Amino acid sequence: MTEAAVELAKKKRPVEAAPSATGAASVPFLLDFYPLERDDQTRLARFYAALRDGRLTTTRCRRDGGLLWPPRTVCPRCHDDALDWVDLPMRGQIYAFSAVLAGAPLGMEGEVPFVVGLVDLDGAPLRLFGRIEGTPWTGVRIGQAVRVEAYTIPDGRVFYRFRMDGR
Amino acid sequence: MSARRDVAVVGGATVKFGIRPATWPELAQEAGLALFRAVPALASADVDSLFVGAAEPERFAFQSHVAPLAAEQMGLTPHRILQRTELACASGQSAIRSAYAAIASGLSDVAVAVGVEKMNLPSMAEANTAMACVMDRPWDGVHGATAPPFFAMVAQRHMLEYGTTEDQLAAVSEKNHRFANANPTAQFHEKTFAREKLLSLPLVAPPLRLGDCSSMTDGAAAVVLTSGELARRYTDSPAWIRGSGQYSDFHNLANAGSLTDWVGLRRAGAEAFRSAGITPGDLDMAELHDCFTISEIVEYEALGLCPKGEGGRFVADGRSDLGGDLVVNPRGGLLGCGHPLGATGVAQAVEVFEQFAQKVDPRRQVPDPHWALVHNLSGSANVHSLMVYERGG
Repeated sequence: MTEAAVELAKKKRPVEAAPSATGAASVPFLLDFYPLERDDQTRLARFYAALRDGRLTTTRCRRDGGLLWPPRTVCPRCHDDALDWVDLPMRGQIYAFSAVLAGAPLGMEGEVPFVVGLVDLDGAPLRLFGRIEGTPWTGVRIGQAVRVEAYTIPDGRVFYRFRMDGR
Repeated sequence: MSARRDVAVVGGATVKFGIRPATWPELAQEAGLALFRAVPALASADVDSLFVGAAEPERFAFQSHVAPLAAEQMGLTPHRILQRTELACASGQSAIRSAYAAIASGLSDVAVAVGVEKMNLPSMAEANTAMACVMDRPWDGVHGATAPPFFAMVAQRHMLEYGTTEDQLAAVSEKNHRFANANPTAQFHEKTFAREKLLSLPLVAPPLRLGDCSSMTDGAAAVVLTSGELARRYTDSPAWIRGSGQYSDFHNLANAGSLTDWVGLRRAGAEAFRSAGITPGDLDMAELHDCFTISEIVEYEALGLCPKGEGGRFVADGRSDLGGDLVVNPRGGLLGCGHPLGATGVAQAVEVFEQFAQKVDPRRQVPDPHWALVHNLSGSANVHSLMVYERGG
């Protein structure tokens, strides 16, 4: 075995089904929406580590200074891989929204109805899509303030969601 | 490009769309049966190439490598080009575009493009998972979004920016369901929907109601395409492919830009009209991708059929109906026919061929059509694919 293969073998974990977002029943890997986040699985592990620390981050191209979303490893404009991690604003305003009242994917049926929307981040040229928590869909309006929060799924992985801002 | 050969659709057929007691391979068999019945001069041995439009057979039918599967089901032995085409909701048109390219280049002389999709599963939550994977799965799909909430946001912004109303959305659905009533292969062939009824159906993703959304449908359709010199061996009324356009400018929703101005469609549309040498005003009919009512409205605008923001009025005033400027979705659209992802684009081409031959139900026959446009969007309207057809005399 090569050195790299030995390293990989050490890191191997038993195959396990991922729990669904609701923790109800586990779903097989190819029905699991949440991204793999460990540094032996993705080159974007820092995104999840930062999110765990309460920061939303992404990559910025060192050459043209452009903010890239989602975070990536190569700038699509410069075709350069010199990218820096930067913090993003943790607040924003709802640009558009709707709600899933029926037809949710496997593992998310228990969360219906839920709100999703596009959010303009305060002071950054990014409009991110995401789940919006904290109020029934009938109470949501365009322009309302939301904040970014880390959402932990039952197996410990994290992802971002928005929450209505109580300011 | 002057060496490019002429290409025509010379026949085709659509199987019954709906919640079908039939598997993926059985739908492919039905498409083969329908095609060979519709084109009596066609022999299996004539077909040198097969293109199979299928969006997600891995998810919906637990089956990969569907191109040879479809060939076997249809009794074809392709010996020039055999391939599957996948472009989500535009997978069917992708098959036709590939067949067009193959014949235009001289690699193929007689090609079949078939589209097959089986979407109704014992577990509809798994089917919805498949639909959410059309989005950028780990960043957008992960939030639980399938198509309805995305197009709901398009509708919400269009209503805010241009004053489009729920009644205007319902006008699209009413028109397309009325045409579907005259199309026996449509999923909603037997159903009628008055505008008041549409406005009382339950919300799926506000402001979109059940009647604003195309459905999860099982179906298949097939067309045969030939080079110009072979066309008349199969038909007296070839539908000539005269123009084409396609554009893709984003995938993640963060990079979508305006929700109500589909720049990609404006660009693909301009290229389709330019390559065909026509203007939007020349069109007699258009098969537009009405996956949702709001889609058809935004498409009128992006294609230049009406000014920006006036798509709602355009349909409510009957200008996309029989007797209007042009007829949009005389087949019944995705709203009335259902939307088996891989089959839709092929079924639209079948409709153009049959409209040109003037052999459809008189309640949806476009009078003496000469120019037709077919459009599919895919995903979150991040890809637009268009083809322009001219009726052969």
